[in-house]
Amino acid sequence: MARLAIVLAAAALLAGCATPYTLVEPKRQTVGGVISVEPGMKWNKLGSANVKGKVEIWTLDGSVLNTLVFFAGVPDGEPLFVRASADQDKTEKPPVFRSAMNPLEVQELLEATVRRYFQTTLAEEANLRAEPVAEGRGFRFDTRMVGRDEVERSGVFVGTVRNGKLYGAWFQGAKLHYFQRYLPEFDRIVASARLVGDAAR
Amino acid sequence: MNPARRHFGCVLCGLAWLALARGAAAQGLADRFLVPPRYQPSAGSDEQGLWRQMDRVERELKTSRFVVRDPQVNATLRDIVCRLGKEYCSDIRIYVVRTPQFNASMAPNGMMEVWTGLLLRCSDEAQLAAILGHEMGHYLRHHTLDRYRDARDKSSFGAFLGIGLAAAGAGYVGSLANLALIASIFAYSRDQEREADEIGLELMSKAGYAPLAAPEVWQQLIAEAKAGTSERSESVMFASHPEPEERLVTLREAAKRMDSGKGERGAERYRAMLGGVRESILHDELALRQYGRSEVVLDRLLAQSPDDGLLWYGKGEIYRLRGGQDDPARAIEAYGKALAAKGAPPETYRSIVVVELKQGHKDRAQAAFDTYLKMKPDSPDTAALRMLLEQ
Repeated sequence: MARLAIVLAAAALLAGCATPYTLVEPKRQTVGGVISVEPGMKWNKLGSANVKGKVEIWTLDGSVLNTLVFFAGVPDGEPLFVRASADQDKTEKPPVFRSAMNPLEVQELLEATVRRYFQTTLAEEANLRAEPVAEGRGFRFDTRMVGRDEVERSGVFVGTVRNGKLYGAWFQGAKLHYFQRYLPEFDRIVASARLVGDAAR
Repeated sequence: MNPARRHFGCVLCGLAWLALARGAAAQGLADRFLVPPRYQPSAGSDEQGLWRQMDRVERELKTSRFVVRDPQVNATLRDIVCRLGKEYCSDIRIYVVRTPQFNASMAPNGMMEVWTGLLLRCSDEAQLAAILGHEMGHYLRHHTLDRYRDARDKSSFGAFLGIGLAAAGAGYVGSLANLALIASIFAYSRDQEREADEIGLELMSKAGYAPLAAPEVWQQLIAEAKAGTSERSESVMFASHPEPEERLVTLREAAKRMDSGKGERGAERYRAMLGGVRESILHDELALRQYGRSEVVLDRLLAQSPDDGLLWYGKGEIYRLRGGQDDPARAIEAYGKALAAKGAPPETYRSIVVVELKQGHKDRAQAAFDTYLKMKPDSPDTAALRMLLEQ
């Protein structure tokens, strides 16, 4: 039965079927107490019952169609995210973020994390380039994934490493329609991003 | 997967070569086959129902993006199966699935699934033939049908079985997920594994392959699993069969009895077969970040092919990605060996850029970048590497 659970969880992507949603209004919001952003439309924040990590997940049309994952200060030695239901004694150690990682290594880390979480070999991260993020130096790269449901998803990751911690946002949506449609909204959110609280010090 | 958690059928049917060949000699090989060539289940039988479910799964698998379409890989696997069981050649359909773990499986309707992690780990055609023969053994002895009937008769199993088959029919989470569901139903018994072992070994031996390749496969898996222990790895291979060493000994004894010393290995042909897919298979392996296991696999392959630049590159990548204290130096050494050997990918230079930059050797990084640009001017990494060099 454990196997059945894993497969179904993978199909439901970064959220469980019974995950409660909270409405996110289009006004300035604080994510994880460290990232301040201003969305331009109403989003839904997911309870992260199935995901463990310094992440907060939003969606517009449901997590199967699109997700926005914020990385709210991943510290050295921690994975980006793992399946909360995974039995840590029985699974391989997940790859972890290191403070000394350069953007290319962060890109590789996200790919390894995605492959592991979504149980897929069809995941690629590419086209890394520099981009100002949260009033400082940052980077952006593109993502592509085919999940076990055989749906192709496109995505984009924007991030920065400050004081040894990773801050970022990864938007992913079904390649057909759902990614392109909301990419301007993602860019708007990224442009509005500031680090606050402990992250700003 | 971790694709690893996706079982279908038998996890190389557990490779349970228990008590191999101990009582098999009494009957001729073909007499033991319960499934004649071009077999079809009788109309209206429970078996026919099971086949129809499998046919639906297979229809989805046929179009899956995870299936490897490389013509040489598919043609070679087909040739091996036909060589092992000529009469059954048209009854068995093989699907190579891009999944970086060691597994193969067989469905009752003749649908065979082989994972790419298995292809990476085999040294030659004889080792692959040992595995494919084992899977054919399950098919020829009707094992899946037996398991289905057994499971159906157990009331406690009924609900799960219902879920599994309903999912197979409905296809609501995609074909590969369906396979995983069905897989859980068909966990073979030890006796069935033993039978498949006996038949597989006989098939490969009769086909002219070296039977000693069969215990080698098992030995390799044990070594790999031991290397993975420090990573708290769940072993797919050993999930249902707790005494791998015992099986290795038994299998080795049986193979020695059959060995004429003239069996074929097909190492060169095997490497040639993988030519078009090796890079992607290696990339999938490295992305698992199971450094200890991957190192054991690559070391073994390198012992066989020390002049293989792609394998040395893979070794370098293990060290680069692991990033331990001495790993940058190890990585640079491995990349050097890759470039001195044959077939190192241009990405070797890309990785040298990354490692040298981290070591503060900007000049060396720049030199590697310049070479990389010459070798791969259209690389999608160019902007990224420039960014790193400028930081």
